[in-house]
Amino acid sequence: MVSPSLLVAIPLASAFAAPLVGLGSKKLAKCIPPLALAANLVIGLLLLPRVLEKAIVVSIGGFPPPFCINLMVGPLGLSLAILISLVGLLISIYATGYIKTEPTEKYHALFLLLATGALGIVLTGDIFNLFVFFEILCVASYGLTAYEKDRAGTEAAMKYLIQGTVGSTFILVAIGFLYGLFGTLNMADIATKVPSAEPLHLFLILAFFVVGFGVEAAIFPLNAWLPDAHSSAPSSVSAILSAIAIKTGVYAIARITYTLMNAQGFLIFISLIGIITLVVGEIAAYRQKDDIKRMLAYSSIGQIGLIVFAIGIGTSLGVFGALFQLVNHALAKCLLFLAAGYMIYRAGSKKLSDMQGLARRMPLTAVAFTVAAFSLVGLPPFAGFMSKLSIVSAALKTGRSAYVAFAAIALAATVVEGGYFFRVVQGLYFRGGSKGESVGPTKAKEAPAAALIPILVLAALVIAIGVYPQLVTNVLDHAAKELLDRGAYITNVLEAL
Amino acid sequence: MAMETSFALILPVAFLAGKVSPALRNVVAVLAAAVSVLLVAVLYGQNLKLDYYALPFLGVELAMRTDALAWFFAIAVAAIGLLSIVFSLRYMQGRERLDFYYFAMLVVNAAMLGIVFSADLLSLFVFWEVMSWSTYLLISYRGGKAVAAGLKYMVMSIAGSCAMLLAIASLYATCGTLDLHGVAQGIAKASPGYSLFILLMFVLGFGIKNAIVPLHVWLPDAHSEAVSPFSAVLSSVLVRMGVYGLMLVMYGVLGEAGLARLKLGPVTFRHVLCWVAGVTILVPLLIAMLQDDAKRVVAWSSVGHGGYMLLGIAFGTALGVAGGLFHTLNYAVCVALLFLAVGAVEHRTGTRDLNELGGLMKRMPVTFVTALIAVCGLIGVPLTNGFVSKWFIYKTLITEGYPFLALVALIGTWATVLYGYKLIHNAFLGQLPSGYREVREVPFSMQLPMILLSLAVILFGVLPGIAVRAIGSAQASLGLKALESGLWALPPAVGELNTINILSGVIASLALVYVAFALATKARRVDQSDSYGAGSYVPMDRYQYSVNFYQRAHELIGPYVRDRVDEFYRWLVGKAEGFFEQARKMYSGNVNTYAAYIVIFLALLIILKLGGQI
Repeated sequence: MVSPSLLVAIPLASAFAAPLVGLGSKKLAKCIPPLALAANLVIGLLLLPRVLEKAIVVSIGGFPPPFCINLMVGPLGLSLAILISLVGLLISIYATGYIKTEPTEKYHALFLLLATGALGIVLTGDIFNLFVFFEILCVASYGLTAYEKDRAGTEAAMKYLIQGTVGSTFILVAIGFLYGLFGTLNMADIATKVPSAEPLHLFLILAFFVVGFGVEAAIFPLNAWLPDAHSSAPSSVSAILSAIAIKTGVYAIARITYTLMNAQGFLIFISLIGIITLVVGEIAAYRQKDDIKRMLAYSSIGQIGLIVFAIGIGTSLGVFGALFQLVNHALAKCLLFLAAGYMIYRAGSKKLSDMQGLARRMPLTAVAFTVAAFSLVGLPPFAGFMSKLSIVSAALKTGRSAYVAFAAIALAATVVEGGYFFRVVQGLYFRGGSKGESVGPTKAKEAPAAALIPILVLAALVIAIGVYPQLVTNVLDHAAKELLDRGAYITNVLEAL
Repeated sequence: MAMETSFALILPVAFLAGKVSPALRNVVAVLAAAVSVLLVAVLYGQNLKLDYYALPFLGVELAMRTDALAWFFAIAVAAIGLLSIVFSLRYMQGRERLDFYYFAMLVVNAAMLGIVFSADLLSLFVFWEVMSWSTYLLISYRGGKAVAAGLKYMVMSIAGSCAMLLAIASLYATCGTLDLHGVAQGIAKASPGYSLFILLMFVLGFGIKNAIVPLHVWLPDAHSEAVSPFSAVLSSVLVRMGVYGLMLVMYGVLGEAGLARLKLGPVTFRHVLCWVAGVTILVPLLIAMLQDDAKRVVAWSSVGHGGYMLLGIAFGTALGVAGGLFHTLNYAVCVALLFLAVGAVEHRTGTRDLNELGGLMKRMPVTFVTALIAVCGLIGVPLTNGFVSKWFIYKTLITEGYPFLALVALIGTWATVLYGYKLIHNAFLGQLPSGYREVREVPFSMQLPMILLSLAVILFGVLPGIAVRAIGSAQASLGLKALESGLWALPPAVGELNTINILSGVIASLALVYVAFALATKARRVDQSDSYGAGSYVPMDRYQYSVNFYQRAHELIGPYVRDRVDEFYRWLVGKAEGFFEQARKMYSGNVNTYAAYIVIFLALLIILKLGGQI
């Protein structure tokens, strides 16, 4: 029987092992992240059948909850952990060939720390532990953003650092307030004690948490760091940030709103914020013609807005739609950034006008890019369609006119999203002169194998989930139900051991 | 029926076959299209349903069905798809990325068949979207101006699809199911206001595809810039998917009773739709007259004739609906033929500018005859299919007492005569420019589709009962009153039309004329350049009568029939982009501002709570 604490322990240990191994051999050091994350993926998949029946609670230190720090491995936590491990694995395979700036073993160490942070956030059952892992994630991402040591990266990392610190401070204030009110840091214990507190105090705590985690989750107007950070970081870092890091912020907000605070009245406000984020993100993305990664970053903001909107719907189908969209966006956005990384490298520039006609020289990369773009816009038979359908159905099923209006606005924003994605796809394939002309630097050719494997695997996954959503819907359904079922969460944790 | 759904798997094979050898790929493509025609033909007269996929997380079952309405559209789709692919074999030879082209043509074909065979709204939507994005890729395929046209098409298509998605999700929430029968029952219990909302969303989605004014702006650019075989498919069957959808929603889901509920005083939804159709007939057909690019003429004609179909369908009488559906088929045949003919001309001469062409009648006789038959079909010359369908529409408008709509329909035909003649005159009649003296006729594989289509024009004109019977069953399958008809005659109760009488009359008069000419003195043959110049020399090439044809019409009506809707959309997009730019500037680049945003947001939340008690 494998212990779920390995899911956090393995990446953490590997993060320290990487520089040590790197002292001896650089080549070996870059194999450590894929191995660690592959082990994580296998452990996660092995644990999944058990967890779908009953959540596993692991107490660290042998004390019973609520006196210890515990891991709460339920369907939601484990499915997100599997997603993080899978995406992390594919990105680390990509990074073996892509990262060339020295010191590479420190890159791998930071990357594994980021993964540790993310895994810890989704698996933990203690609020301060959540904050600790959140900080590990954030600091690792500040470092990774600045990794290229160029002007843009450093500036972006500084901005990210400042805003992230403001956010983290707010989280700490909220935790302090929480501890002062209830005297405990265990999430299940807090959840039992919450009904006894004053609504105004609870709202204050909730507000601080939402704003604090919202900085990382990239909701409007807290997301101004995202376009700079995701466009200036190296592409594998942009991929992990967009696919995983910002999702952990969303997870934290969802966990606190639903499980801890049970703030049903706040949900409509979350949906409103989500829709505003979606609209602003898509509008801003439409204007980005000079930098493909900025366009993708703004698109991430938009999609996070959609996920947050769906979280605020409050029904089982709504949360299911949010989780499904989260998974699909993680896969598609990761693919887009990985493909863009080599497209920029081969074309020699980030401008869209310099990438015209690139599909002739990089056919596989271009096809994968197109598949991911179509998936995000929500075209069948790709994965994104199923999740958008679930979200819109859930919104309309509530029957409340506010949600119907939000759904209509979300669909209108999809038109804008289609506008800029289709522009890029067209540019890749149908512009840029005939076969005689050379487009861009003549050295443009297909991406290397280490990059192509993750790209093609992700494209295959997007298509597979689109055609056969049952691959993931069962697990996500359980996860959605777990999020909504406070009572079960509390009993699972407090009656363990 | 299961064969239908599994044949779609053959599509990637065509793409991969192309990597092996171009000839193999061509064979695979033609075979796939031919097999689909056969499979559809086998399904004639059957009513089947097949559940093929289950989505447990939404609780819906996806199903396909075949009934008379579906079969009617499916056979048209499959047949025209096959003919376009046969035409493409020589037309597209030598272009790049042909593997992708054939793959996409087959995907579009399969998606359209999926649309007409869907038994539930979700299948319809999935296939609709697949058709949309493959169409977009295929329009942009040509490069150059086609890229902008493709983007315009796709953005409008997505807008329509989002409206449809909203309606479908709403129906799912209200009726609990997406099956067409279930939805029909569910919506009968809902309020008229809700039915109107659902109908409007669907009209938006299907109307954008069918290019109803004011949703038509993508069509002229897209159809003229796409490659000709695909333009043929686009104009003939793809946009008519909108007609299919409207039939389904208006009569299959809402039903006549549901439609009758939607009114504001004496004005029903039907009236409004009929008048929208009237505008769609009037302005685009007049604009078609003023175009210089041969494909744009045909594209605007596509917009206009879509109005006839909508008029017939929205009008609602047995004759009207039959006329609308029959016109869909007839126009599909005629416009596919026209696009193929214009494509043939472009293939040989390299241009489609009507100011430069002329006199090709002598060099490309087959193309000329088939194009002439197509234009006759468009106008509605008796003995062609267009005559029968237009006759249905005129008859029903006049007998039901709608003189203004009838006048609009007749003006549309008048405009059709004008632009049809312009097309024939400028391309085929008149003087042959010296640059085209060596032009040859197109190869047989390109002639064959054109010949077959022109035969269909005549066949449906002389024996319209073949199609009208099928349309009658389609009407019956939707619960409408069916149009009874013999093979060539309509009974007096519904309209009185006897095409064999017309045929015999024409043959008799032709015989008389022939005898008269045979008995008269021999005519003297004169060369075309033997013209009167009042003593001065008439230079051949500089006297091209087709240049600036209809100049007077340009001066008279040009200022009034500009495409104002297109100008409005451009203005709207410009304003939107300006607004987007302003919105983007919120991210000013100054990190102090950003940190301030965070703190202000928190303060705002707390103030709202304290003040407003959220």
